[in-house]
Amino acid sequence: MWKRTPLALLNLTHDRRRFVTSLGGVAFAVLLMFLFTGFKNALYDSQLQLLSQLNGEVVMINRRKSNMFVPISFARRRLYQARSFEGVGDAYALYTSDANWQNPETGQTRPMRVLAFNLDDPVLRLPEVSEHMEQLQLPNTALIDTRARAEVGPTEAGIITQLADREIRIVGTFTLGTDFASGNGNLIMSDVNFLRYFANRGPEEDERSFATADVGLIKIEAGADAERIAATLANSLPNDVLILPRDGDSGFVDRERRYWEENTNIGFVFTLLTTMSFVVGIILVYQILYTDVADHWKEYATLKAMGYTNWFLLGVVVQEALFLSVLGFFPGMGVSMLLYNGAGNVTGLLFQLTSQRVINILILTFLMCLISAAIAVRKVQAADPAEVFT
Amino acid sequence: MSSTSVNGNPSPQRSAAPTAELAVKIRGLNYYFGRGDLRKRVLTNIDLDLPKGQIVIMTGPSGSGKTTLLTLIGALRSAQEGILTVLGQEIVGLGNHQLVDVRRNIGFIFQAHNLFESLTAAQNVEMAVELIGQFEDKRSQAVDILSQIGMGDRVSYKPDALSGGQKQRVAIARALVNQPQLILADEPTAALDKKSGRDVVTIMQALAREQNRTILMVTHDNRILDVADRIVNLVDGHLESDEDLNHFVQTHDPKILDRRMFIM
Repeated sequence: MWKRTPLALLNLTHDRRRFVTSLGGVAFAVLLMFLFTGFKNALYDSQLQLLSQLNGEVVMINRRKSNMFVPISFARRRLYQARSFEGVGDAYALYTSDANWQNPETGQTRPMRVLAFNLDDPVLRLPEVSEHMEQLQLPNTALIDTRARAEVGPTEAGIITQLADREIRIVGTFTLGTDFASGNGNLIMSDVNFLRYFANRGPEEDERSFATADVGLIKIEAGADAERIAATLANSLPNDVLILPRDGDSGFVDRERRYWEENTNIGFVFTLLTTMSFVVGIILVYQILYTDVADHWKEYATLKAMGYTNWFLLGVVVQEALFLSVLGFFPGMGVSMLLYNGAGNVTGLLFQLTSQRVINILILTFLMCLISAAIAVRKVQAADPAEVFT
Repeated sequence: MSSTSVNGNPSPQRSAAPTAELAVKIRGLNYYFGRGDLRKRVLTNIDLDLPKGQIVIMTGPSGSGKTTLLTLIGALRSAQEGILTVLGQEIVGLGNHQLVDVRRNIGFIFQAHNLFESLTAAQNVEMAVELIGQFEDKRSQAVDILSQIGMGDRVSYKPDALSGGQKQRVAIARALVNQPQLILADEPTAALDKKSGRDVVTIMQALAREQNRTILMVTHDNRILDVADRIVNLVDGHLESDEDLNHFVQTHDPKILDRRMFIM
């Protein structure tokens, strides 16, 4: 097989300029597919950026809090009750609230999400929090997310501006990223400061106190089974709280992801766009293959006259399609990675390129080229060897 | 390879003895284009024998069915009526797959060279060698045949870098490399200048003489008629005349010949 003259490769690369253009076409289709699936995945993955930093194997929330966007809190005493169960090491509260942040440069206000907790509790697995522990204990201080959107202004220590119409001083930064519920970015502060801002914001705002928490984290003892403890707690504690393991198929992180999958059009829109890119790719590759067949019409018919079968010619076209898909895939992926990087920096969304996703797109690219080949092959099969004698 | 099949497998309808000496045997061949009311007869009751080792030139005005007859003999079309035995194999009524097998024993030379621009001269010839599964020595076979026809110093040139005559010679090498017993050529010199055309037919003539090949050539080019053993004239789908070269030269006044050629 390998001793054969590599007709497909030579035909494809003979005209260098056309070859490069062809690869550009395939790479572009690959790029579009990467981009659209990338945005889809980024929108889903980003919802979980905060959740994956939560330092607790079991999560407790208000039963009516269907996703992180819903500002419903639960009674903090449920966490104290949970502490008495066997296997539970510790239980602590995360408080969240949205507040208007004033961009220190433009003066415009933008909503941001405040994450607050008792600084003695290791609620978030972020090293920056312990580094700035002492400064955070001062009144009206917070850390700001460097991956907040550009609308909030500069994200660095030393900024003094207004949060919820109250002065705030930024004493440091951390890195998290945005999601649907976070508005333009995240701030981290101590629970005491949280009360300073949100305990009494006015008649139209909820009053916050330590009596309620937004997300409860339960740290289990080493060797204990998170799912079993979550089940025990759910059975024993009153029904107003929902207790889930953080990870796993029916876990808290997965529930959040499923919520956004089932309640938004993200999946539909971006799957449609990916399908369209796929179809555009098929048309592009078909054009390339068809042009090759049309240009070499007489030569292919001559091969048939010499005694080559339709199967051989089919093989040539399929090989050309496979070469195109492989050689076009990698430049397409390269440019996509650059764009992922850029888009991630601008939006604060999390663009992850896992090997599974790369393989999926590679398979799509193969399919795309093979479908084009299947259409173009009909043209070759129609090559009548008698036509060469004219 | 093909000679054994000629001797060993006589066609079912004809006895082996006369067939063995003939590369092509045609009896009562009719061929139609179209179907139903539009059916048009293009070949009528053709009887023709091509003995081994002969060079036969087929002439005739355009539309007379020369090319159709050539493609029928070459197993490029399915013959419909009559008897058409090519290299001992009856091909009337064969299916597509069997026709492909017959074609592998025939060398085709076309008016256009039909070489792949992306392949070198040697690679174009090797495509033919690969067809019969000889991968190990395909390069040496290709170089051998190219050297025989004076292209030994051009084996790794691509068609772009070759002249018209050189390209046609590569095409001839491709047709001949598998040593086919029957060679069908359609206007092989039409696109060539006088000298290149002469070179090409001289090469073909030498091969037919030395290796007992049968060549059927359709041509309008009266400059090369002298290489033929026989000249067959086809008019309106009928075999008008079938004469040897000497007789042809005697009966055709050069001036009349020229005028006839002009009509074609």
